Amino acid sequence: MIHCIDIGKDYPVHKGIRRVLDNVNVDVAPRQRLGILGRNGAGKSTLIKIIGGVEVATRGRVEATMSVSWPLAFGGAFQGSLSGLDNLRFICRIYRLDYHATRAFVDDFAELGSQLGEPVKTYSSGMRARLAFALSISIEFQCYLIDEVIMVGDKRFYDRCQRELFDRKSDRALVVVSHDMGFIRDACDSAGVIRDGTFHMADSVPAAIAEYEAM
Amino acid sequence: MERSVFRSMVVQARVVWALILREMTTRYGRENIGFLWIIGEPILFCGGVAIAWTAMRPAHEHGLPVTAIVITGYIPLTMWRHCIARAVKAYESNGSLLFHRQVTPLDIITARCMLEIAGTVMAGLAVATIAIMVGFMEMPKDVGLILLGLTYQALFCYACALLIATLSEMSDVMEKFVGVISYLAIPFSGAFTMVDWVPKHFQFILLWSPSVNNVEMIRGGQFGMASHPIYDLYYDTWMTALLLVIGISLTLRVRRYLVIQ
Repeated sequence: MIHCIDIGKDYPVHKGIRRVLDNVNVDVAPRQRLGILGRNGAGKSTLIKIIGGVEVATRGRVEATMSVSWPLAFGGAFQGSLSGLDNLRFICRIYRLDYHATRAFVDDFAELGSQLGEPVKTYSSGMRARLAFALSISIEFQCYLIDEVIMVGDKRFYDRCQRELFDRKSDRALVVVSHDMGFIRDACDSAGVIRDGTFHMADSVPAAIAEYEAM
Repeated sequence: MERSVFRSMVVQARVVWALILREMTTRYGRENIGFLWIIGEPILFCGGVAIAWTAMRPAHEHGLPVTAIVITGYIPLTMWRHCIARAVKAYESNGSLLFHRQVTPLDIITARCMLEIAGTVMAGLAVATIAIMVGFMEMPKDVGLILLGLTYQALFCYACALLIATLSEMSDVMEKFVGVISYLAIPFSGAFTMVDWVPKHFQFILLWSPSVNNVEMIRGGQFGMASHPIYDLYYDTWMTALLLVIGISLTLRVRRYLVIQ
């Protein structure tokens, strides 16, 4: 389980503070596939970063009894000046993965070929997404946090992600942030909406989508 | 309980080691001599200054050989300045590392300082060995005292790096001042003077600086007691420990202030 209890997050801005999240309560159960919807700037990515332990909530706390991935997002997690392989090496070291096995898996999944030896900053966002996804999938997390990232890939990559998440890792929990309602509909079994800094669970995925589309 | 403390220490040690390896590739790359630059850079600095001083200054300063004065002073100073420089905005520029929950701000500074400290010490060893072989420097009188001074200096540099890393993240003004501070601090580093050379009633001011105490120890070890090293091990220990405690506790709290892209 993951319990987010009374989460609040303030960011310092030019004058004073901006309250991004206020009193957010979310629970993620094992095997649950939770979609988080909301407009740009509503605080979706902030929430997913707090769940992933990248940022610390100003108020409230997160209690997790399952292992949670880092948020798979456009930025973050990689050092741009290092090559894909160097990033892979680092992640293998800190997560205690076997380098050769992981490399073989990433090679096969991300299909980056010789680009893997080039600095990550030279990658397109699609290539970055493939690398991020392949690496995090090669670590056995019990919950994966996905911030839009799958949607930048091409059709083939998208299908592979689907297969990976829904066949081979169907027993894992998932928290997805997306504006792609098709993906939310396919991937999630529950969804909620962030609005005015607070989060509330919808009764069903279609209800959440309807609420999002009405905003 | 004890086991879990031990386990998390093992995890942290592994993370720090991974960070050191990663830092070596980011900073020095795989081109030409690669990570050997970590020693090469301070060698060029320290060697250059040692050669310049040996050439320009009289062979002895206050009765002490000038080459050894420069080497024993410049290495601790370089250690401190490099640690400080690598600490400024270290968290912002390494935000991508903090995506992985086992990597903490403390690990980032620990890894960077270990690399800088190891680099400067090895550079010092290399320059001193060459100077001794060429005959510009004598063998140290007391290696133990040199090691003690270097250990204290390493801890002092680490404490300062922790403080600067956190403060520069909390305030932009601090970031601007670091360059100025590390320049103005040179007289208080003990690098180019010995406490004994200063009039008695001003000595206590210099001895407020842990760095001065440490350099005195190193010089005491190099030249022997005849060089009149003046240091206060009692004060130095407590001051360094205090700075370390403040630095570590600030570092453990800094995450709230970090905005990670």
